Amino acid sequence: MADSLPTEFDVIIIGTGLPESILAAACSRSGQRVLHVDSRSYYGGNWASFTFSGLLSWLKECEQDSEAGDKSTVAWQNLIQDTEEAIALRRKDDSIQHVEVFCYASKDTGDSAEEIDVLQKNPSLVASSTLTKPLDSACLSEETHSDSTSPEMPAKDTPQHDGEILPEVTDREETQVKETDCGEKTCIHTVSDGAKDENKPVVEDNSGQPKRNRITYSQIVKEGRRFNIDLVSKLLYSQGSLIDLLIKSNVSRYAEFKNVTRILAFREGKVEQVPCSRADVFNSKELTMVEKRMLMKFLTFCLDYEQHPGEYQDFTQRPFSEYLKTQKLTPNLQHFILHSIAMTEPSCLTVDGLKATKHFLQCLGRYGNTPFLFPLYGQGEIPQCFCRMCAVFGGIYCLRHRVQCLVVDKESGRCEAVIDHFGQRISAKFFIVEDSYLSEDTCAGVQYGQISRAVLITDQSVLKADSDQQISMLTVPPAEPGARAVRVAELCSSTMTCMKDTYLVHLTCSSASTAREDLEPVVQKLFTPYAETEIDEGDPPKPRLLWALYFNMRDSSGVSRSSYHGLPSNVYVCSGPDCGLGNEHAVKLAETLFQQIFPGEDFCPPPPNPEDIIFDGDDKQPEAPGTNTLIVAKLEASEGSQNLDSPGQHLQ
Amino acid sequence: MQAANKEHLYKLLVIGDLGVGKTSIIKRYVHQNFSSHYRATIGVDFALKVLHWDPDTVVRLQLWDIAVIGQERFGNMTRVYYREAMGAFIVFDVTRPATFEAVTKWKNDLDSKLSLPNGKPVSVVLLANKCDQGQDVLLNNGLKMDQFCKEHGFVGWFETSAKENINIDEASRCLVKHILANECELMESIEPDIVKPHLTPPRALSCSSCAKS
Repeated sequence: MADSLPTEFDVIIIGTGLPESILAAACSRSGQRVLHVDSRSYYGGNWASFTFSGLLSWLKECEQDSEAGDKSTVAWQNLIQDTEEAIALRRKDDSIQHVEVFCYASKDTGDSAEEIDVLQKNPSLVASSTLTKPLDSACLSEETHSDSTSPEMPAKDTPQHDGEILPEVTDREETQVKETDCGEKTCIHTVSDGAKDENKPVVEDNSGQPKRNRITYSQIVKEGRRFNIDLVSKLLYSQGSLIDLLIKSNVSRYAEFKNVTRILAFREGKVEQVPCSRADVFNSKELTMVEKRMLMKFLTFCLDYEQHPGEYQDFTQRPFSEYLKTQKLTPNLQHFILHSIAMTEPSCLTVDGLKATKHFLQCLGRYGNTPFLFPLYGQGEIPQCFCRMCAVFGGIYCLRHRVQCLVVDKESGRCEAVIDHFGQRISAKFFIVEDSYLSEDTCAGVQYGQISRAVLITDQSVLKADSDQQISMLTVPPAEPGARAVRVAELCSSTMTCMKDTYLVHLTCSSASTAREDLEPVVQKLFTPYAETEIDEGDPPKPRLLWALYFNMRDSSGVSRSSYHGLPSNVYVCSGPDCGLGNEHAVKLAETLFQQIFPGEDFCPPPPNPEDIIFDGDDKQPEAPGTNTLIVAKLEASEGSQNLDSPGQHLQ
Repeated sequence: MQAANKEHLYKLLVIGDLGVGKTSIIKRYVHQNFSSHYRATIGVDFALKVLHWDPDTVVRLQLWDIAVIGQERFGNMTRVYYREAMGAFIVFDVTRPATFEAVTKWKNDLDSKLSLPNGKPVSVVLLANKCDQGQDVLLNNGLKMDQFCKEHGFVGWFETSAKENINIDEASRCLVKHILANECELMESIEPDIVKPHLTPPRALSCSSCAKS
């Protein structure tokens, strides 16, 4: 496999996140020979989405010792000539920290036969076995740790990970408690008691609707393929730069979307729907007639606020929130506009607030009732769509392919080649590297931000509606001045990101502390742990948490190129995901770098549409409209004429 | 032709080991030609075949070749390749028994990555290609092959030759027949309100582009 990889390219791209994948498609589309590699076994880097078992494997990977799995690599030091020097790349990505996992769902053993099947496929899923030590929510941090090599483990192929990811145990009497403090490492906490749950009656809604579904952990594991859990939670503005790029490049042919159906607000402890379209405003039951008129008047003004500078000139240097107070708006409406429509931080200036409001309004109605789209199967599909486009235009893809170092010519100061983990030297003219691959030395002077993330699996929507298939965007304002607003995206099963009768909830904010410390207060406001349902007699009952994950992701989006130390000028750096709601940062970054590398080249022009190349069954002439735009390479490099690899390599 | 009442668009995958003739089969079926030296097409990720199924029905088939250079070569398919396919051909070369042994691997791989919206596996037809190049022992016993297909969940099998144009139309008809039969069942589970952004003629955008400027 390695020896059949060509050794010369125009562009080598390391990392398959969104900006790198857009660049790969753009380079390949403009005729460059592209090699696109990722050291991971999946596409997307920190932009990836995972099935449930895939996510558990990812959690395990986050834990693995940085030196592990390095034995197979070939030393590169001898391959560097006297006229060259090497810039080593990082061996282990450390952009994910403070990982914590909580399982609330009942772990009943009803259908153990199916579980065993799952366990065999996913050795990491030891956690699905049986009941565990009951813990109440007050002692969440008091995990039970077991020795991962202990003979009592329920599955024979227990993962080796220094006992930090905690496989649950069959019987707590047999548990060897190794440590009670997991520090900043991954922990799995269990807070439900399966045996107790068995005897509980199923809770009925107040509204007399069908019973609340009981979802067990083994069902989640069994239906794990229904989940596509994104590491980053983003939406596409329907008039945003990513949707425009997808359409322009026709990469959109690979993607499908759902409209976000509701914009929600969290006010005085309650979740409410924000009316945002004209029809919403007039149909709203929450707003009075006077409020409806006030809101419409203000939103109409925002659509062309630039034409009326007199209306806001006294507030240009003052916060948007103060400006809103001077408008004829009730506190209710001010809250909607500030937090759910403009979605700004309280300190945001008036002009920026008006601009954000206008953008929101402009995006309404292009595809649906809210300004946002969500990709079916998750945000993690989008980088793959660009990769497909790159591959269709001849780009070569190697996952699980680690680049050990960049080779720099001392005299010219330019990067000439990379050396991969097989010790193979691959040369190119330009190199694009995702930030997390750069070594500590290169990044010594870099200041990173952090993103706090939570991923929840719940049994009901935060706001019940006629249809249970709602995709909702909720902003929870900061509880105290100076704190950050938390963005909540709730996805239903028709987005193809979670199993039936569950919701996948993503929480995001820029970090002040660890993800759990930043986000748990909001989680507690909106949800109740599964096991506590009997106690919680709230009206309406809160949705129940089945499973929760917290982690921090490094935010390199604000890093300037000049703060990386010692990189040659033909090495370009892509940042990881930013904290923003849209994908504007990634698209802009990719386009800017592309213009730097290939000034004047068209960025992602539309390819010939295969739909235009029709060979009609009744038509003997294999020519059709549009064929003249088809690019046919004069290569014989197709699979029938060359022996490229062995059969097994198609199968992973 | 245009007056057909029903139009169906199906994505089909063509899968199998290297050199079994996947691309040749697509070329023969779609382009009506065969060449032992063919050129790789860049910029095209599927070939389209239009079938006039019956007087009322047009079936458009997108045939996705796994051999688009680059991703497939190192076994790094994106989900985009598998997603929403309605059926597949798994191809082996009758002159090379090892390619037949790989068939079950391909079938298992496919079933692990793709299922119909109702959770059932997609219809797959097995093609024993290069049947013009002498009979293989594997195929001497048709009953055995029928048994194999039944055990491994293939809806049928055909001895094919892209070179001599043997049985390719028949195999395709068999697959389409099964997909059409499945679809009645699937109609209920098809999701409404999916947004597919496309290149739209500028005139259609007049309103929103006014607002944009």
